[in-house]
Amino acid sequence: MEPRPDIELVQEVRNGRRQAFTELMRRYQERVYWVARRIVGSHDDADDIVQETFVKAYLALGEFRGDSSFFTWIYRIAVNLSLNALRKRQVLNYLHESELLSRILPSPDDPGKDLENSEIESALHRAVATLPEKQKAVFVMRYFDEMTYEEIGRVLKTSVGGLKANYFHALRKVREYMRHEIQDGEKPPYG
Amino acid sequence: MKYRMEKNPLTGEAERELASEIRQLAGSPAGEERSRPPDAYWQNLVVRINARIDDATSGKALSISWAARVAIPGVVAIVSFLVGLHYYVPDAYRHEPSVADVVLALPPAAIDSLLVDPSGADLSLSVEEVAPDVFVFSRQQIADYFIDNGDPGAAVDELSDPEANTILKVLDSERK
Repeated sequence: MEPRPDIELVQEVRNGRRQAFTELMRRYQERVYWVARRIVGSHDDADDIVQETFVKAYLALGEFRGDSSFFTWIYRIAVNLSLNALRKRQVLNYLHESELLSRILPSPDDPGKDLENSEIESALHRAVATLPEKQKAVFVMRYFDEMTYEEIGRVLKTSVGGLKANYFHALRKVREYMRHEIQDGEKPPYG
Repeated sequence: MKYRMEKNPLTGEAERELASEIRQLAGSPAGEERSRPPDAYWQNLVVRINARIDDATSGKALSISWAARVAIPGVVAIVSFLVGLHYYVPDAYRHEPSVADVVLALPPAAIDSLLVDPSGADLSLSVEEVAPDVFVFSRQQIADYFIDNGDPGAAVDELSDPEANTILKVLDSERK
């Protein structure tokens, strides 16, 4: 049996059939989860982001005009939420480093604990974690999800030229990181 | 995991080479496969998302939303009212002459009656309208009043010494 088009399911949700939204969730939850996890690097954060993505999508379904596909639309929500989560984490890390927050919250015992907590297991994921947020998002979508530049452009609302430049820089940084870590057994000086 | 990078027509040669090298360095994606949450997680995830949607669309969430919808316009209305109240001056008051102007426009005899017997003023006037400053006259006005009504001595009490001397000299010269 042919799977029903997303737009039909969206229309059913708008008509009040909640089950259709569950169908959409089942269809895309794993892809949304992985894009979030690859950007934020942690299962717990990715789990929060997937939930928030679908709740936001459900509440804003009336605003979905169908200019892009439902997946592109929901993917954009997930990427934006992931980038926001990264920014929040950067602020928290900065506060920890500046010891402002350590007076309020218990500081991590080990500076490398963030990495442990984020469950980044492979050298590749550690390399991705060092990228600036825009490059990270482009890398995840292009390298892991194999999206075209046009699709990524629709998600990030950016020009294809800029995306190509971002991806190229990201590839070079990841390669350098992995060369150092895997071949020389040490982490590169940048991070 | 499938990789279709090589098939993508937009991928340049340098890009392909870099990506290929990274794949060789990264080896198999088994690490990511191992960290994939179990199937039960995905079943449970749908349930949890549905629960969150229920919360977001339930009466509690709506009541907060309604509170915001009522509170914000309410505050705006009250602030607008107070600001308006502060600056608003009714046109009727703006165009009406003050009581002082009305009194001063009256003939001297009428002013007399008002000063001698304030209750003789128009009874339709309210206490607020007959403000106390209606009966505040300059010293010159008081002096003129007493002189006109034949009591220069009383006028002298209200005048400064040079003024009183001047007036008394005028009166003396008239007697002579």
